[in-house]
Parts: sequence; C-alpha cells; structure tokens
Amino acid sequence: MNLTDLTAVVLDGFVLGLQFGILGVGLTLVYGLGGIVNLAHGQMAVLAAIIIARLIDGGTQTALALLIGVTAVGILGLVLDLTLMQPVYREPGEGRVLLGLLLMLGVGFIIDGILEWRYPIEALTLRVSGSPIRILDVPMRRGSIIASAAIIGIGAALALFFRYTTFGRATRSVIQDEQGARLCGVNPALVRTVVFALSGVLAGVVAVTRAMTTPVDSTAGVSLTVFALIVAVVGGLGSVSGAFLAGILLGIVNTVSAFYIGSYVSTIILLVVAAITIVVRPSGLLGVKS
Amino acid sequence: MTTTETGRSLDSRPSAHGADRWTRDFVPIVLVGLGLALVPLQFQASGSMMTVVTSGMLFAAYGIGFNIIFGSTGQLFLCTGALAGIGGFGSAILSERLDVPLILSIMIAGALAAIVGGLLSWIAVSRSLDTIFTGIVTLAFSLSYESFILGKGDLTGGENGLRVEQGRDTILDRQVAPYYVFLALVLLYLVMYRVIQRSHLGWAFRALRDDEVAAELAGVDVTRYRVYAGIIGSGMLGIAGAVFAHNRGFIGPTTYAFGNVDVRVLVMLAFGGIGSLLGPILGAVVFTTLDELLDGQAQLREVFYGVVTVALFLAFRRGMIPSLGDWWNRLRSSRRGRT
Amino acid sequence: MSGHLLEIEGLCAGYLGQDVVHNASLFVGQGEAVAVIGSNGAGKTTMFRAICGMLEATAGTVRFDGEDITNQKAHKVSRAGVVYVPAERHLFPQMSVRENLVLGAYPKRPSGSQLDMIFRLFPRLEERLSQHAGLMSGGEQQMLAVGRALMSSPRVLLLDEPTTGLSPLLANEAYDALAELRSDGLTILVAEQQVPLALGLVDRGYVLDHGRIDLTGTADELRDDPGVRRAYLGV
Repeated sequence: MNLTDLTAVVLDGFVLGLQFGILGVGLTLVYGLGGIVNLAHGQMAVLAAIIIARLIDGGTQTALALLIGVTAVGILGLVLDLTLMQPVYREPGEGRVLLGLLLMLGVGFIIDGILEWRYPIEALTLRVSGSPIRILDVPMRRGSIIASAAIIGIGAALALFFRYTTFGRATRSVIQDEQGARLCGVNPALVRTVVFALSGVLAGVVAVTRAMTTPVDSTAGVSLTVFALIVAVVGGLGSVSGAFLAGILLGIVNTVSAFYIGSYVSTIILLVVAAITIVVRPSGLLGVKS
Repeated sequence: MTTTETGRSLDSRPSAHGADRWTRDFVPIVLVGLGLALVPLQFQASGSMMTVVTSGMLFAAYGIGFNIIFGSTGQLFLCTGALAGIGGFGSAILSERLDVPLILSIMIAGALAAIVGGLLSWIAVSRSLDTIFTGIVTLAFSLSYESFILGKGDLTGGENGLRVEQGRDTILDRQVAPYYVFLALVLLYLVMYRVIQRSHLGWAFRALRDDEVAAELAGVDVTRYRVYAGIIGSGMLGIAGAVFAHNRGFIGPTTYAFGNVDVRVLVMLAFGGIGSLLGPILGAVVFTTLDELLDGQAQLREVFYGVVTVALFLAFRRGMIPSLGDWWNRLRSSRRGRT
Repeated sequence: MSGHLLEIEGLCAGYLGQDVVHNASLFVGQGEAVAVIGSNGAGKTTMFRAICGMLEATAGTVRFDGEDITNQKAHKVSRAGVVYVPAERHLFPQMSVRENLVLGAYPKRPSGSQLDMIFRLFPRLEERLSQHAGLMSGGEQQMLAVGRALMSSPRVLLLDEPTTGLSPLLANEAYDALAELRSDGLTILVAEQQVPLALGLVDRGYVLDHGRIDLTGTADELRDDPGVRRAYLGV
C-alpha cells in the first residue's frame, strides 16, 4: 500500500466530508429546533445553484450572483417557516414529525419539478483557476482547497455563534429543552424562524462550495437531501459539531473504500457504516436528545 | 373444551351481532372488489391504459403491505421499493437463471423479502429506534439495494436491466388478465389485513399504536408483534414485486427505485389515510388518475404532485378515509340529534 | 383594582378540553410568600402552568402589577417578571452551570451582582460552574433551577414542588434558601405537598383540592385547621 496514495485518498475524503458536513448542518438545526425533517434541503441547495448559474449566464458578476443566490434561498427558508411550517409547529407529538416531513417532501417535489421543467440542462460550475497546491505532498485542486477553507471558516463561525452569542445560546436552549427555554424568556418561534432562514443560507453555501469541485445540476436535489439526512442522523440530530464529525467520517469512508474496493461497493459500505452507527448509537455521534 | 375454545366459539356464534360485524368487516372489501373489477370494461381496448390501471393495482398492493408495517405498528419503512425489488429481482433470477418454476420462484422471492423485512424490523425494534431513525436505517438499506442492483451487473443486469421471459404466454402476458391477477392480490391482501386486524395480532397492533408502554404492561410482546408486521408486510411487497416482474417482462434499476416506489406509496397512503383499510386503494386510484391526466408532462407532474401533497396535508391531516369517516359520523349524529 | 402584585381570578385550565383547575382565585401581595398546598394531582401544576403561559387558561384572568397577562406567551410572562420554576426543572442538560445561569438572564446580559447573590445563596453552584447540568445531583439541579430563575431578577417567583426528588435533609436546605430570598423581599408563590415545610415559609396559604380552592388563611390558621391537620399534617 502506497502511503502517498492513502494520504491523497484521505484528503479527498476530508474535502468530501466537509461538504457532507455543511449539508447536514442545515438539516440538523431545523430538526433539532422544531422536529421538522426538511426533505427539501437538497432541492433548496440546487435552487440556489440554478439561480446563481442563470445570473452568471446573464452577465451578473460572480460575487454578486453568489450573494443573490444564497440570500434567495435564505428568504425561501424564512417564508417557509412563517407560512407552511406554522400548522406543523402547532401539531403535537409524533404527528408533527410526520406532517412536517410530508409537507417538506411536497415542497421538494415542487422545487425539483420546476427546476427540471424549466432548466433541465442547467448546472452550476464555479471554476477556480490556478495550478494545484501541494498539501502533505499531495497536489490538491485549488477549487477543493477554497471550498474546504470556506466550509471550515463557516463551520467555525457557526460554532462560535452558537457558543458565545446570546442568540446562539438561546438556539441551543430551545434544542435542549424548549419548555425550559420559554421559562427563561426565549421565544422559540423567533429562534425557529431565524434558524430556518439560516438553514436556507447554508443550503446556498452547499451549492456554492460544491460547485467549486463538481457541477451541481438541476437533478441533484434528491441525492443531496438523502445525504444531508444521513449525515444529520449519524451526527446526532440537533448537533452542529456532530454533523461535521459524521460528514468527515462518512466522506473518508467513502473515498477510501472507493479507492481500495470499488465504486458501487463503496456506496454500500458508506450506507452500512451509517446504518450501523445509527443502530449502535441511536442518539448519533454527538446527539443532544437521547 | 378449554377456556380459549369456549371464548372463540362464543365469538364466532352466528348471532345477529356476529353477522353484523362480519358484514361491516368484509362488505367494504367486496364492494371495492366489484367496483374495481369493472374498470377494464372501460379501458380494455387500449393496451397502454390497461398498463396504467394495472400499475395502479400494483401500487395499491404495495400500499397495503406498507400499511401493515407503518400504519399498524408505526415502523416507517422507507424501503418499500427495495423489498419489492428483492421479490422482483429474486424471482426473476431464480426463474431465468436457475429454471425454478414461476409460481415457486415468486413464493421463494416473497419469503426472501419477508425475511429481510423481518430482520430490518427486528433491528429497529430491538434497538428501540423511533420513527425517523427507522426511516433513515431503512432508507440506507434502500440506497444500498440500488447500488447493489447497479453494481452487481453480472447478476442483475446492472444499468441494462433484466429480461424476464418466464411469464411469457401465461396469463401475466395478456392485455387485460394481469389486471385481474393484481386485483385478486389486492383483495387477498385486504382480507388478510382485515383478518389480522380482527385477530389477537390486530389487538396487539392497536395496543401498540395507542400506547407502547401500556401495551407492554398489558403483556403484549412489543418486539414480537412489530417483527410479525415487518415479516407479513414485507412478504406482501416481495410477492407483488415478483408478480410485476413477470408481468412486465423486463425489470431494471429504476423499476423498484426509491424515487419511483417509496415516495409514491407514502404520498398515496398518507392521502388515503395511514392505518385505514381502504386508504391505500383510494390513494392508488386517485394518484393513478392524476398521473394519467398529467401524462406527457413528467416535470409538471412532479410540481403538481408537490402542490397536491402540500394542499392535502394542510387540509386533511389524517388522510381522506378517516376524514370522510369523521364527516360521515358527524352527519349521522347530527341527523340523529334532529329526530 | 385592589392592587396586589399578582391576582388570579376565576381561573380554569386543563388538558384535552377537560378542566383540571376550576374557578381558582388567589392573590399574592408585594413581598409576600404564599403557598398553594394540595396532594398529588390536586391541580397545582396545571394552575401554575396556566398562570405563566405554558398552558392556555379556558376562563378567568391573571393580572400582574395591574396588567392583564392572561394567556400571554410564556416567554413574555417570564420577561415581565413572573418566573416559573417547574418541578421537572427543565434545565439545559448539555450546557454548563454557567451557561444555564446566563440563559436565565435572557435576553439581557447577566449581571455580576445577581450572580454574586446566587453564589452566596448556593455556594455549590460556584464550585460546579463548568459542570454540565445534566450530570448534577437532584439537589444541585434544584439549586440551579432556582438560581437560573433568579438571574432575571424576577418580581414574583413561582415554585412548583421545589422539594421533588430531594431527601428530607436537602428539602430543608432548599426551604432555608427560600426563606433567605423571602427575607430579602422577594415575592414567592410556592406549590407544595410537603405542607409543614411550606407553612414554615409562607405568610398565607390556599388549599387546592380536586382543582378547587376550598380553604384559605394565614399559615397559622391553616396549621390549626382540623381538615388540613388530618389531610396533610398526618395528625
């Protein structure tokens, strides 16, 4: 076994894992707060990608296009929370989870359908020019490095936000004990709305960072959602650091097994690892709720 | 005569009450059967329409299987398609490669699906996974199944799919007859669903649904009954998938894919009413009609699906059949109030 | 208006359309300590939850400082100064003692003097500042729950069975702390089934039975009431 190969494969897995992680974070926060499994999360990411691609095609500056695209899905998240999700929040018990899941499934269909209908061949690719950079003696593409750096930066910013700001602490309090949070004067409805919007922004970030390494096309929504779901659950629903940990773990498992065993088996191995984690630790790697 | 026998003979005593209950239990199935049996009169001339309505019956069968697992015992199995696929591919491979007779191959493949489903159920129950976690584990299983079908091309035909010749020149190869085969399957499943509901097993299922802790205290072996539901429902899915393989004559990686089967079954059942006898039938009929009306605009159809899903769940939280039942009961009681 | 700090009139509340508390009226004056005593299931928790907005009242009014706060959202009631400490405490298990306290002051920044006051009252909390709340003993959790409530400088503290799950020794300590708060002038409404403890703390009390208030009086009057003696004091 060649050591450089292994390093390269693990690094690739790390890059992929960061993307899995940022994908899972948006979903995990929304679930932790209101019990809503956002089955349209991947579709929201794709929506951002297509908006950005259309704007760039139309001659908008890239940076501005990115900003508009990411903001747009943030606003979509905000609007979804204030409209469609309100009856869900009022629903008690397990009915809430199911209703939220089905409504978001419907939203996913709508976004997916519109995108595949209007823009069937559109895809977002953000080319980052420049020669590869060597890390640990492995040449890495600049796109991968910038995407990873951006995700690490955003992840760190999120961690600091949740740890040290008043609103971040309030968010965690709602995830850990909603009644306790209300008794402390925290308004859970406000927290949920803000975080749903944040989750939309994060979906936009997924689109941007992913487009630096692979094209994001209009059909990618469902598989992104599925991976977001798996990462969120393996990491522990409601846990930001858990989502990143799970993402990196699964990313490395995926590239290592793809390199040494073969592609279709690697997907199966990835899924089996995910399933085993869930079965062994139903609360996830860093779960909040038991 | 033992005590239980006494109890049973009391239960099945041909009293007015017993007959009444029997009527209430099985007349809906008979009526639905008669109604659905008339469908081909309208469409028999068109091969493509018969394919559409036949697939509607297939989905009704899937819906009942899923309903036994999810509706009766609350286990969210997101692997309806994968279990049907185990039936379909299993039966196809057995009959094509190993020359196992058609009926036997269907039975074996159905048993295989039942074993796999029972195993998944056992894992979920013994680790006391809740709805969402059961959903994710079974979803992971679904995706593994899809990767396997695509990857293990020498066995499953991979992307090119598998030709299934054994059904040729049987009744599964005609224009109208397969519809009745699936209808028969659906009616059989409905009767089974009803019989289970009315049996000790059904009593346990209901107790489980209402309150797991109370059920356990009342002596219901929670693990055992959940796993029973997993086995029975999965077996139904496997058999339906297998029959479909021989009917269609060709199966591929998308035939039983998650996106094509599970999502539809879930939406149909939630529309009709999770845990209701006729919910899967109503869902299948309505969504098959919807599909046909929107034929040719696949993407628009998805948008429409989404809109319908959202609108319906906002309006009828628990599904149509229970909502209609409520409405009917209200109507009746208000009438009774007036007289 | 008679001008008591907290006034409850004709309050009805319950679950699933079934009232558990019927037509309950009581008041708490500024600086007063008042007990609601009653056995398990008498409706104490339901009443408290309805007062602080965790549960919708089906009838009646809750007035605080002259203002109608009936069926206000729980976080608004809390910010207005009516702070509830439930028997189940509802701490944030995966946060440190410090973070739990900081959240108590939400949305304001925690004040140092308030923290000092809490640490004087419960020195244990200062020792355990960085420990996760979920890993603490029952007695420490109760201290933290009260401490967290105090962080917002409440004007009325609603305590639901503060002795739940505590040993007799710890229960006594808890009431010692409450007595100290009381002598500092804090207004307290406490629900309790350990009647001798509660009557040792308060000026007045109400007896809640089957969701109805059927007796009220000063602590001494209640202690001497034959019905109370029989039912709650085991005499």
